[in-house]
Amino acid sequence: MAVVSEAQAPKSIGASDRRFRLEGLGLTLVLVVLILFFTWVNPRFGTLANLANVLTQTSTYVIVAMGMTFVIAKAGIDLSVGSMLALSTCVFFGLIEAGWPWPIALPLMFLLAMALGAFNGLIIAFLAIPALIATLGTMVAFRGIALLHSAGKLYYGLPPAIVWLGQGKVLGVPVPIIVAALFVAFSWWLFNKTTFGVHVRAVGGNREAARLAGINVARVEVLVYTLMGFAVALGGLLWIARIDGTQATLGTAMEIHVIAATIIGGTSLFGGRGTIYGTLLGAILLSMLNNALVIAGVEFFWQLVAIGCIVIAAVTINNIRENRIGWISRIRHRRAPAK
Amino acid sequence: MQRQEAAVSTGEVLVAMRNLDKYYGGLRALAEVTLEIRKGEILALVGDNGAGKSTLIKTLSGAVEPDGGEILVDGRPVSFKTPKDATDAGIETVHQTLGLVDTLDVPQNVFLGRELTKKVFGLFPQLDQAAMRRRTHELLQRFAISLPTLNEPVHSLSGGQRQTIAISRLLLVEPKLLIMDEPMAALGVDEGSKVLDLVVKLRDEGLTILIISHNLEHVFAIADRIAVMKNGRLVAVVPSAATTREAVVGMITMGASGVRTEDRQWLS
Ligand SMILES: Nc1ncnc2c1ncn2[C@@H]1O[C@H](COP(=O)(O)OP(=O)(O)OP(=O)(O)O)[C@@H](O)[C@H]1O
Ligand SMILES: [Mg+2]
Repeated sequence: MAVVSEAQAPKSIGASDRRFRLEGLGLTLVLVVLILFFTWVNPRFGTLANLANVLTQTSTYVIVAMGMTFVIAKAGIDLSVGSMLALSTCVFFGLIEAGWPWPIALPLMFLLAMALGAFNGLIIAFLAIPALIATLGTMVAFRGIALLHSAGKLYYGLPPAIVWLGQGKVLGVPVPIIVAALFVAFSWWLFNKTTFGVHVRAVGGNREAARLAGINVARVEVLVYTLMGFAVALGGLLWIARIDGTQATLGTAMEIHVIAATIIGGTSLFGGRGTIYGTLLGAILLSMLNNALVIAGVEFFWQLVAIGCIVIAAVTINNIRENRIGWISRIRHRRAPAK
Repeated sequence: MQRQEAAVSTGEVLVAMRNLDKYYGGLRALAEVTLEIRKGEILALVGDNGAGKSTLIKTLSGAVEPDGGEILVDGRPVSFKTPKDATDAGIETVHQTLGLVDTLDVPQNVFLGRELTKKVFGLFPQLDQAAMRRRTHELLQRFAISLPTLNEPVHSLSGGQRQTIAISRLLLVEPKLLIMDEPMAALGVDEGSKVLDLVVKLRDEGLTILIISHNLEHVFAIADRIAVMKNGRLVAVVPSAATTREAVVGMITMGASGVRTEDRQWLS
């Protein structure tokens, strides 16, 4: 054929791929530097006991933030996590108080939280409600149901087997840290190594392309929010086991911590990209800051101010990295002319 | 440029569209389109911007549902509710918008929706990234494209590189019908002719191809028949050996009134 071009020199394909990529290196360094700095300011911070304490306290946030990483990578958001946590733990406690054995009540709590998550996913997928508004609605509604259910009651007194999950140790390591670590490992595998993980990022990155490639977009959507519900139940379980109690206001303002951890970690708010390791670091970083502020005797309200500022700073840094801010990227390109 | 006759076209109908209608609000994007695609041919679909070409092929690929009319594959009526229904029926499509996910890397895009997996511990299905990377490498070698990195997000790639990735998705399976919506639009001369070669080669291997292009030189180089659309209607379907480029241009711009007397027999 005339259009056939003559034999060409083979062109390079995939030749300059890096074998190993060091993702999250920057954030890891920040974390190490912060630990050293806080310890220098206050030697009490750097003790093994305090660090283990920080990790134990952050285990719930780490677990819920894993779910949030999937949600945000799918270009969604979930504001209702704190309310879901309150509602499912209150119902769980209610069942225990009513004399239900925990091996039955516990799976029911997980099922309830997953059903609440699936509900979020269903109204987002099938009623085309933006995730921000849908979960803003359920945030308020779930909290309302939790308040109705518990009628202002403070629950306490869990079976010892459950309390062990929050307060026990295995070979000197607190159980919540072990559970969180296992869940992080599972999330990493699910996110990076499975078809589901790729589909979540595909739907988040380009919904129409995902649909045209034959992916059942609504199914992915519902599954992601159901997974979020599971993470809330697991994180909630560790929390109520640690403090051996719950109430309908538990987990208020949790969503901002969890979303902050995810964004600080480097997951794009615009969807399509995410990093499990980054989220883990983000959650630990936030808790450490909190802990350092507490040790330094800073008032709780200042901690809220600090977190708010950190969220805005983290999104700004991500935007600069992704060249989303016109005037800054122009300055950057002027500084670094094309080679 | 010379064209080759279809080696294997038997005249048997693979896909038949009957009276397809599609409305977007008040706009009639498809108006009673009746068109047959024969086994083993390259059928080119041409027409002005907004003529309804992409809409027509979207009804074949399950991306949009027609408001009226029917589609038959191998003589059996089908109803494609989702893109997966169409691929299950053996129809593969590269859309004009390419359908790539910017944030995913090259193998992830090539295998999107049909990922290769292996079992870990004989239990949990996990992506077989090494195999997908290897297959991607092999596939891309059929094109005159250079692509230094495979595991970076595809948003930083050039238009031609992206187009090549989208086209290579077609080669993963053995479909009955390949649909390509302007596959050469962003390609350079070398890369474009590689794709043309590939299209002809696939036809010679027995595949049926429906291709949309604004480039009449390409169309006449490879197509067995040319279907012309205007304002949502099919104007004519002519064997490309029986007509000229000027005649086709006339049909594209003027519709039925632009058809030469010797082409009247091909009017729809
Ligand atoms: N999703 C949509 N919503 C509303 N109108 C649409 C939609 N898709 C296409 N149209 C309209 O339908 C008509 C046909 O569009 P189509 O994309 O099929 O044209 P085309 O022949 O592929 O054009 P081009 O050569 O520019 O790709 C156009 O007038 C277009 O504006
Ligand atoms: Mg088009």
